[in-house]
Amino acid sequence: MTAVIETTGLTKTYGAVRALDGLSLSIPRGGVYGVLGPNGAGKSTLFRILLGLIRPSQGEVRVLGQHAGDPAVMRRIGSMIETPRFPPYMTARQVLEWLALAHGQGRGMGKDAAIDAWLDRVGLTEAANRKVRGFSVGMLQRLGVAAALMTKPDLVILDEPTSGMDPPGIQEMRALIRSLADDDGVTIILASHQLLEVQRVCDRVAIFNRGTLAAEGKVSDLTASGERLRLSATPLAKIIGVLGDRATIDGDAVLAAIPRTEGPALLRALIEQGVDIDEARWVGADLESVFMAETGPARTDAQVREALHAG
Amino acid sequence: MLADAVRSESYRALKNRTVLVWSLIFVPVIWLAVLIGGAFIDAKVDRMADQLPPQLTPARAALDLGDALLSAAGQLANPALKAYLLIGAATVFSGDYRWETWRLITARNRRPNLIMGKVGAVKLMTLAGLFLFLLAALIGAVIKGVILDKDLMFRFGGEQARTFGLLFLLAYVRVVQFLMLSLLAAVFTRSQLAALFVPLAVGVAQGLLVTATPLLGWSPIDWQTLLVFPGAAYEALKSVILGGVPAAVLQDGVMWRAVASLALWCLAPFGLALWWFSRQDLSKE
Repeated sequence: MTAVIETTGLTKTYGAVRALDGLSLSIPRGGVYGVLGPNGAGKSTLFRILLGLIRPSQGEVRVLGQHAGDPAVMRRIGSMIETPRFPPYMTARQVLEWLALAHGQGRGMGKDAAIDAWLDRVGLTEAANRKVRGFSVGMLQRLGVAAALMTKPDLVILDEPTSGMDPPGIQEMRALIRSLADDDGVTIILASHQLLEVQRVCDRVAIFNRGTLAAEGKVSDLTASGERLRLSATPLAKIIGVLGDRATIDGDAVLAAIPRTEGPALLRALIEQGVDIDEARWVGADLESVFMAETGPARTDAQVREALHAG
Repeated sequence: MLADAVRSESYRALKNRTVLVWSLIFVPVIWLAVLIGGAFIDAKVDRMADQLPPQLTPARAALDLGDALLSAAGQLANPALKAYLLIGAATVFSGDYRWETWRLITARNRRPNLIMGKVGAVKLMTLAGLFLFLLAALIGAVIKGVILDKDLMFRFGGEQARTFGLLFLLAYVRVVQFLMLSLLAAVFTRSQLAALFVPLAVGVAQGLLVTATPLLGWSPIDWQTLLVFPGAAYEALKSVILGGVPAAVLQDGVMWRAVASLALWCLAPFGLALWWFSRQDLSKE
């Protein structure tokens, strides 16, 4: 499996702040790769280094096998970092035309047809000739995605691509990202705080915390590691007695933290002890719980209230 | 790659209609209006002259459009045209900072090409501005001919064409030199206001200070004057082109010092801007 991104000991400091702290990461070619982390974890810093916008303080980074910032490589990357902005006096079509020219796609190169196709693909056909100054955040996001993708890059970096979009827009964007990865063979790296979206669209994720890599792997593997057997049964006390500290109460059920291989034996043991089992099913951990486990707990309601009063 | 940058910057500049009007159209239109107004005044003077005795009435010569063109070429680097061209230049140079669009184009080209693309677009804009000013002068001369009921002629022989070409080239270099200060201000400050007002402030300061050079014992063609004041270098070269400088002075190397001054004032801001931009953190815009 070849890597599109390889970093070794990547560090970026801003004064005393270490935005990235010795990050070593390998992102495989193909599929959709999610980069997660709380604010200030180093996601945007990594993206800016990959795009040659800033230089690392220390460490190595290779993009598509070359040094980051190499113009030949940069032309193979499409990107959208945060909410994109465009010259407000231009229309959506003019923005794409301008960027196509900047990319070396002059007249007679199928540019106009490609622009129309991309405007259609991101749902901006009707707004194609409207000036960008009147666009909503969601429309700017769509145009940003079209701008990132219209040059047929091998690698696309998207930072919060669904930010500001309405639910149908989010659904369309998810489908677009998946189709680019599956049908067009583009490698997509995306950062998002919408963990459910990431879980739905990404094949692999990396979770950053304070500039370091806290966890990395296939979404299915990361969520499977937190898998539990959910038992709706009576009496619960007997189940807890069998499982001990591996049991957690979840409403009127018990979550058993056991490997799948132990499931049948546990069920037999419970039945032998006279437990009446209504339902037993495996439930996976969602990405949110994995994320919270790796990046530290959120503040409790009481802590939030206390902070608000103190503020 | 550089051609891509020039093409895309020019395309973007062309779409900014408001700036184009102020930068390229406004001064030629005003100049045309001034010429037409002047023609009406001349017509009135002519009517008054008609009442004089015939022996005092000046002969009615034909109006030479070649002369009008040459005269306009000598006025191309005027402060108004420079100031309004500066609006367009400042917009081009600082646009990516103002609209936070560097990140859209840095991945598409080398940084030196991106800056040179902007400079290329501004140079094209400058050429367009100078041509429009000349066009306004030509149209103004034709209208003047109609108002004054004069015959029109167009004499543009080899010598006139040479002088015109040199004046045009000199004015172009002088305007570009002035606009390079805008590039430097834009890159250093990331601000459109600075890109607009720093060259104006420098230009005004130089215009005022050049009058104080006699206090320092500097003559208008001394190397110090020419080096510190590109406007003085421009005037010296213009005099050379128009034949107003004695041969003895020319032998003194005034021309080359003036050329060196203008070249330095063009290249130094450009080089500094390029050097700074190559190291600039463009994630902060």
